[in-house]
Amino acid sequence: MNNETIKQAPLLEARNLTKVYEDGVKALDNLQLRVHPGEIFAMLGGNGAGKTTTINLFLDFIQPTSGHAFINGIDANADPLEAKKNVAFVSENVQLYPNFTAMQNVDFFVRLGGRHQYKRSDYEAALVRVGLQREAFDKKLKDFSKGMRQKCGIAIAILKDAPAILLDEPTSGLDPKAGKEFTRLVGDLRDEGKAILMSTHDIFRAKEISDHVGILNGGVLVAQKTNAELKGVNLEQLYVEYMAGYMEETLETGPLTNNLT
Amino acid sequence: MFKLIFLKELKEIIQSSRFTISFAVCSVLIILSFFMGAQNYLSSKAQYEAAVQENRNQIAANTEWMMVDHTITLPPQPLMALVNGISNDIGRNIEMSGRGELRADNTRFNDEPIFAIFRFMDLEFIFGIVLSLFAIIFAYDAINGEKVSGTLKLCFANSVSRAAFIGGKLAGSFVGLSTALLIPMLIGCALLPLLGIQLSADEWTRLGLIIFSGLAYFGLFLALAISVSAITSRPSNSFLIGLVVWIFAVLIVPRSSVLISGRLVEVPNVDEITAQKNRYRIQLFEEDRPKMENFSVPEGTEPSEVMTAFSSFMGELSSARQEKIDAFTERINEEFENKRRRQEEVALGLSRISPTSVFTLASTELAGTSLQLQNRFMDSANEYQNVYGNFMTEKTGQNQGGGFRMIMVTDEDQEEPENLDPDEMPQFEYAKATVEEATANSILDMGLLILFNIIFFGGAFAAFLRYDLR
Ligand SMILES: Nc1ncnc2c1ncn2[C@@H]1O[C@H](COP(=O)(O)OP(=O)(O)O)[C@@H](O)[C@H]1O
Ligand SMILES: [Mg+2]
Repeated sequence: MNNETIKQAPLLEARNLTKVYEDGVKALDNLQLRVHPGEIFAMLGGNGAGKTTTINLFLDFIQPTSGHAFINGIDANADPLEAKKNVAFVSENVQLYPNFTAMQNVDFFVRLGGRHQYKRSDYEAALVRVGLQREAFDKKLKDFSKGMRQKCGIAIAILKDAPAILLDEPTSGLDPKAGKEFTRLVGDLRDEGKAILMSTHDIFRAKEISDHVGILNGGVLVAQKTNAELKGVNLEQLYVEYMAGYMEETLETGPLTNNLT
Repeated sequence: MFKLIFLKELKEIIQSSRFTISFAVCSVLIILSFFMGAQNYLSSKAQYEAAVQENRNQIAANTEWMMVDHTITLPPQPLMALVNGISNDIGRNIEMSGRGELRADNTRFNDEPIFAIFRFMDLEFIFGIVLSLFAIIFAYDAINGEKVSGTLKLCFANSVSRAAFIGGKLAGSFVGLSTALLIPMLIGCALLPLLGIQLSADEWTRLGLIIFSGLAYFGLFLALAISVSAITSRPSNSFLIGLVVWIFAVLIVPRSSVLISGRLVEVPNVDEITAQKNRYRIQLFEEDRPKMENFSVPEGTEPSEVMTAFSSFMGELSSARQEKIDAFTERINEEFENKRRRQEEVALGLSRISPTSVFTLASTELAGTSLQLQNRFMDSANEYQNVYGNFMTEKTGQNQGGGFRMIMVTDEDQEEPENLDPDEMPQFEYAKATVEEATANSILDMGLLILFNIIFFGGAFAAFLRYDLR
């Protein structure tokens, strides 16, 4: 992104963010990150790196041990209700009410997000945009595949129209085509000026669309590169270097290899 | 926000298959219990009318009031059939006599023991068992289910306060489910006049209060289940806890409170009391013995006068002893009564830990089938005994105690004796509690049901404010 946008205040900011769980696990250690409007920040890291912890802190699902998470300048822990007006969230595995149709779910969650102005046609437009088949609009969610649920999730996030978006491994478990479509949508949202913090362990996709890539290992942000800095760099190589100790474990258990295919 | 969540909860309940199935089952059971209660009432009424008619026929077959055997019967009431209480366990018939102790015989279960095995499926049973179970089945995963499925996180990614969320959920599920339950109840109510049972305004009020108590009972179990789901993170755990609580409330607490109160308050049995009375009688006699041995008459009294003097002396002693014995018996009986009542109070008090007992007490009180029923029947009978005694005295010149009859037989020529007219005899009327009395007697329990609601709704609310949303 150009210099002007960088000068703007960040929409998402972690400042000295640290989380030690009750059982003593230090899941996040003094995290610093900023995401400005029109930027995608990709948090790379294997399982247990602290990605979900970071997102949970932004959503006030857990309290920071020290430090702050700000959304649009509002401390998420101090004033969660105000802070959450400025953020939309898509989880790793979007779950909606199984007895509601896609439409009913979208309607409920979008209203819960504070948007009451939409008509059915607006919901339809959003669902079309995310690529959900029309036949599914009035079907109950319990018959939906994971991909269909992710689409509903992103449609809800789009309709909430919040300036910041948090995505927690949104493409894990999606087939390559669905993953690609999803990534394209995220790129579009960035182009509309949203500030997007996305956690992933998919290196290639991260490099493809992100403006910033941070590598999280054991709760520590071990590297942070801009897209420009990554030009010509073998990200995979970089990742492996930083994750050195970690990779061996995960290659065997498989989650990383899955995403490489 | 509250309204949105409230409406979502309503819609979600109605669209779930869990609701469709349990609503269907509950509706059938509730309507069935009204239907069976109505049938039950109609058959008891027919039996009652037959018994009364039979009694009249017997009177009419007689020519002498002296010869009449009069039996009074507890009239059945529609609410008795809907909420049985103790009505099937107490004697319904009392053989009248002008004086002496009255005894009620012929319990329903005595006459038809088959019903005693399984009892009847009355409203109190359906409400007590089914509604509470329905509440638990419905709400055991209200909160932790949303956590496990992940919708809780998605909800709270928005600017939603916990208070609005849990408030909307509690209100939505209570309103949704209790409205659903009200439908078969109203159908059941409408069924009564269709089956030929006319309730008085008084009885409608009581039935309304019974239904109100039933819904309050349902509400407290619903809130209880929601609180449990808001302190556990897995639905399987909360279901188990809910079930255990249910078993305690419905099955264990009411029964064990009676056992425990039996331990806490000793009540002597009848044999012990008789033995005590006998001992006292002997003791008094022994005290009098020296006086008897020292009985003397002045020298030179005529032997016949001696006899008279002796018998009047003995008579005086005996009546003095009898007076003491009567006072003693009265005291003992009163003590016994007090202890028995105390034991009863302790049992009822203890049982009130369980909402199910509270509901049973409230609904039977409202239906007039609580423990009061027996007392009231006996009170009415005793009152009637006076009227009956006076009537008999008027007709026969003497008031007779049970069994013993003095019949004068004259061989004067008489005209052909006429048969008796049963209508001349005063009618027995059972004085049931007025709706005001019944309400006053059940107000404590209705209040407790509301208190339970406040506690559990408050508990669910407080638990959720602290709930880990992830
Ligand atoms: N509730 C919790 N209590 C204790 N430790 C936790 C809890 N949640 C996560 N952790 C630990 O924190 C670390 C980071 O977890 P997480 O943020 O979920 O990783 P990621 O999302 O990157 O896979 C892991 O070691 C995990 O075991
Ligand atoms: Mg995670």
